[in-house]
Amino acid sequence: MSATLLHTLYAGLAPWLALSLVLIGRNPYLSRTRVIGSLLLAFFLLRIPLGGWPSFAWCRTLEMNPSLTLTGLLCVALWQRLSGKAIFRREDLRATWIFGAIAALTLYPMGLGLTSVDPYTWGWGPAVAIFTAIYSTVLLIRGNRFGIILILALGGSLLHLQESGNFWDALMDPFYGAASLVGCGYLLLKRARSSIGSCNHLDFQRY
Amino acid sequence: MAFPLRWLLICIAWLLAGALYLRPPVISPSGDFAEAPSAVTSGQGAPAFQKTIVNPDQGLPMVHVASLATMSGGMEAAVWYGGSAECAPDVKIYLSESEHGEQWSSPRVIMTRERAEHDLGRPLQSVGNAILISESQGELRLVFVTIAMGRWSGSQLNTSISKNGGITWSPAERMTLSPFFNLSELVRNRAVSLVSGGWCVPIYQEFLGKFPELLWLNENHGHLEYRKSRIAGGCFTFQPSLVPLDAKSALVFLRDYTDNRRVFLGRSDDGGRIWSKPAPTQLPNPDSGISGLKLNDGKLLLAYNDSTSCRDNLALAISNDQGATWKKLVTLEQETGSTFSYPFLSRSSDGSIDLAYTRKKKEIALTRFNDAWIAEALAALSRVEGGGGNHP
Repeated sequence: MSATLLHTLYAGLAPWLALSLVLIGRNPYLSRTRVIGSLLLAFFLLRIPLGGWPSFAWCRTLEMNPSLTLTGLLCVALWQRLSGKAIFRREDLRATWIFGAIAALTLYPMGLGLTSVDPYTWGWGPAVAIFTAIYSTVLLIRGNRFGIILILALGGSLLHLQESGNFWDALMDPFYGAASLVGCGYLLLKRARSSIGSCNHLDFQRY
Repeated sequence: MAFPLRWLLICIAWLLAGALYLRPPVISPSGDFAEAPSAVTSGQGAPAFQKTIVNPDQGLPMVHVASLATMSGGMEAAVWYGGSAECAPDVKIYLSESEHGEQWSSPRVIMTRERAEHDLGRPLQSVGNAILISESQGELRLVFVTIAMGRWSGSQLNTSISKNGGITWSPAERMTLSPFFNLSELVRNRAVSLVSGGWCVPIYQEFLGKFPELLWLNENHGHLEYRKSRIAGGCFTFQPSLVPLDAKSALVFLRDYTDNRRVFLGRSDDGGRIWSKPAPTQLPNPDSGISGLKLNDGKLLLAYNDSTSCRDNLALAISNDQGATWKKLVTLEQETGSTFSYPFLSRSSDGSIDLAYTRKKKEIALTRFNDAWIAEALAALSRVEGGGGNHP
């Protein structure tokens, strides 16, 4: 298989998984027909020509390198949806959003020129991959399943699944970064609410 | 997660990380600059100066951003883009050749939006800035901009190679250089060769910030290796022009995007790894492109617009002290209401100095002169100004 074909196939995986999830929807009663139909429909929707190009080609114009983390998370989401079992628990999701938010805040502001330091260049060396292995080890020791997703990023980068050779692109993309920032914001909001709630409870007890 | 499975996964993680660590390194973001002053000195003969139009009868509404390269056999090649307007879908990249910079061949199209779309397998809006690199084995490398969406902030860098003097080109290959949808990487100025055999290409980003960077290129057994490094961040300066002083030291001249309206200058003494904070020079800059070159006697030559507000002139300035002070040497073009922009200085195979630039956005002009002509202009300037004449 040529490298170009491999990159194209990989780049199509994330949009296909995302579109399949949308088409399957949140209906708790899933039939085999609905599942297969949704997967096939998602495939054909990505082939619909728009302005002379399949809609997938427009996705490629926007993002040729969906991260392996995002692709892994979409796989997990689809698997959860089809099996009805919670593969990712609350603590796994928390680790996913916190890692994504920290990585996004490290990478994007400086990578887009905030300072004279460019963290994106670290991705051409081994530093980011080693850090990812360390973080993955910590997560796995604690039994956190997001560690497995990080292993996928290491493996995918080694297999050159992406057009980019920069390890940051295996780990992060703007979609995962944005979702992580929203996820982290939600976690912080929830925490703030619960701490306000517990303060109010204490105040009530005091008086 | 079961205990043995957990440790198995940890072992896999470290095996993969180890394999990534042991993977041969991509080209280093620094190196010894190989670009030496011309072996053929053009300063010993009679002063020579000539001006030609590279594309006299092209008849396009807009042409812009010329760059030059010396091909194997000593032929000069020029590339530029042209079409109805910048970033328009009908823009094409053209190439023309000349034996001595006098008679240029009819421009021929070497890259179009359609061709780039076909090679890269995705829709594009336009093509744009391009530079040529003359590789050691007679190959020509084209580094060019494609615009995915919007205007210049939606651009990406690509490369293609020709093994027959620019007649046919390999399928374009995209370089991923930015973490945010690979957006907004552009090229404009001359690449500098490295002792290692690779190239250092000055590039820049103009998306949320405008800042200069360096693209390090190397061809390893037919596989293109690349990475970039940053010269400065922020939203102050861009469009770097890289001028090596010796193997380790180099200067970078920068277009100003601030209210300073000055040409900025940065310096590296470790092969381009670390750069000083760019500082303004004496020379004005109306937020326009510049180009620098080191002469055989160590002086620096800079082509620039001698104005803080418009591009209605094009001038040459010379520095004897590595950019600390400058003397305006000559005004090459001046016409109120016109534009003379995007100069590109390079040394031709016979030792002459070529200056290509966009003339009124309708023509690509080429001025060829030699070191003797510069010496004569400098002497005349000294006579007129009594040895002074530093730029105000």
